[in-house]
Amino acid sequence: MDNMYVLMMGFLSVVIVNNFVFTKFLGTCPYLGVSGRLDTAFGMGLAVTFVTALSGILTWLVDYYILVPNGLEITRYVCYILIIAGAVQLVEMYVRKFFPALYRTFGIFLPLISTNCVILGICLFINIWAIDNLAEVAVLSTGVGIGFTLAICIMAAIRENLALVDVPESLKGAPITLITAGLLTMAFMGFAGMIK
Amino acid sequence: MLKAIRYYIEQSWLLIVSAFFFGLLIAVANAAWSGKADTNKKAKLSNLMKNLVQNAAKFEVAIKDANVADGKGKLLKTDIYKAVDENGNGLGFAYITSGTGFADKIELIIAVDADCGKFLGFEILYANETPGFGDKIKKDEFRNQFKNAPAEPVSLIKAGDRKKIDNEIVAITGATVTSTAVTNIFNKSIVSVKEALQQKGLIK
Amino acid sequence: MAESSTAKIDYLSALTAGLWKENPTFRLLIGMCPPLAVTTAVKPALTMGLCVIFVLVCSNVAISLMRNLLKPHLRIIMFTLSIAAFVTIADLYLRAFSPKMSEALGAYVPLIIVNCIIIFRAEACASKCNVWVSILDGIGSGTGFTLALCVLAGIREILAAGTFFDYRVMPKAFVPWAAMQMPVGAFVTLGLLLGLATLITTKRAD
Repeated sequence: MDNMYVLMMGFLSVVIVNNFVFTKFLGTCPYLGVSGRLDTAFGMGLAVTFVTALSGILTWLVDYYILVPNGLEITRYVCYILIIAGAVQLVEMYVRKFFPALYRTFGIFLPLISTNCVILGICLFINIWAIDNLAEVAVLSTGVGIGFTLAICIMAAIRENLALVDVPESLKGAPITLITAGLLTMAFMGFAGMIK
Repeated sequence: MLKAIRYYIEQSWLLIVSAFFFGLLIAVANAAWSGKADTNKKAKLSNLMKNLVQNAAKFEVAIKDANVADGKGKLLKTDIYKAVDENGNGLGFAYITSGTGFADKIELIIAVDADCGKFLGFEILYANETPGFGDKIKKDEFRNQFKNAPAEPVSLIKAGDRKKIDNEIVAITGATVTSTAVTNIFNKSIVSVKEALQQKGLIK
Repeated sequence: MAESSTAKIDYLSALTAGLWKENPTFRLLIGMCPPLAVTTAVKPALTMGLCVIFVLVCSNVAISLMRNLLKPHLRIIMFTLSIAAFVTIADLYLRAFSPKMSEALGAYVPLIIVNCIIIFRAEACASKCNVWVSILDGIGSGTGFTLALCVLAGIREILAAGTFFDYRVMPKAFVPWAAMQMPVGAFVTLGLLLGLATLITTKRAD
């Protein structure tokens, strides 16, 4: 029961309170680039969630069972990025082979994803937070992906409406998106303090 | 078979060679600098502890991997340090513990005196609280309330005299969650630290 | 003769393109994570900028040296491998010689690995040009990035704390604007600066 509570709180924490996009600014590039339409944003979000979950768990396993016992912490960053690149490649191949329909919806985003900061970010933060059990790692890394999907979908929905609004000429495009994002972070700040 | 192996090697020799090269580069940098990084870390810790325990000459590990409770009461394995002056007399103990603040983790070093009767205060190792509100826990007016307060669980009050040193801690206006988090860390951890020190016979 | 003069122009443009025309932050809108995350004060922003310059120059040199040996499908993995190696070195250096900054930047130093600027420069320049052009390109883009970081950090630090590079610049009566230190300050300031950059470009074009 106690463990369940920790997992639930951890999940809520990374999805809402400590949403990576709003509090840690990770994944801002796709956030500005892709979030023009709701359906592509959702596809991108799903693909990212899939890869964060997979690579979060894989990097934690490698870190916990190979790097730390052998004193190889120094190669951590290199290992992490190679694992992520490998995971992305694997997912791409797997999805293309077995779910061609799914591949058409989010396959195009997959190669872009390996340089998405959210993924390396969660691997690094799991390490910084010193999380020491697999269940928590799995929940957190999935949660981060879901949080990213949430953020990018909200933004896409707002931008679909922004297209109809009379924005000052020089603020069109990325600037107004950033300012909107700023207002969104203020809204999300209301959730802080919820996790005790 | 041989042909296949040859093909793979032809395709990936650059990757393998450069992996070795970069590995070597990292190893050299690590050998040259990691010692210094470790000393920095230790120096930072002992400087912070020196702020808390006056006249301390050095800090030794008193209990390795002791059970110290965090703000939620979960037991963490951290070292309890003993502060000694130049003549080898014990001046107090210091330990690191953490809790959940408003937005992020709060990590504190807490010090108590030699017979664990009084707090000597706390220093912040890590905190990422709201600027202008929660980050006031870094200010002396809040921190000094803990200096020389009896090492018993403390309680949080909304208003009162901050100069009066007792177990009533005046919360920061607008940052109740952060203040509660800090007092929780104190309350939960001091009980477990006392227990650990008594078990080892370091205090009565 | 004619050939050498065009080459000279190439060197010069490689160096200056990154400063404004292809400024990563203001014009190309890539690598937006550090400009938002580490710009609460000028000092960490400058440190971050220097780290990026170091990694950018080193990885550009490494990739430019092996550009003729690269296999197309293993290209990206070679890029990330060399970038990750240099980032590890930068991180180690910071931890050894500037522990305070290393702590302030935290996870954002390793996150340089996935900073799009570096992989973009590797793809756009270093894998096509010779070593010298690549070095100049790295310095140019890196400096442009650092300048953008410092402008943003300067504005935020002055408004949020009343200081610049830890020196007090605002009068004592100035009430710090705490919102500028929070995420919202980062997003809105960068948004307005981007708007300003667009305004300048369109005015110039007219």
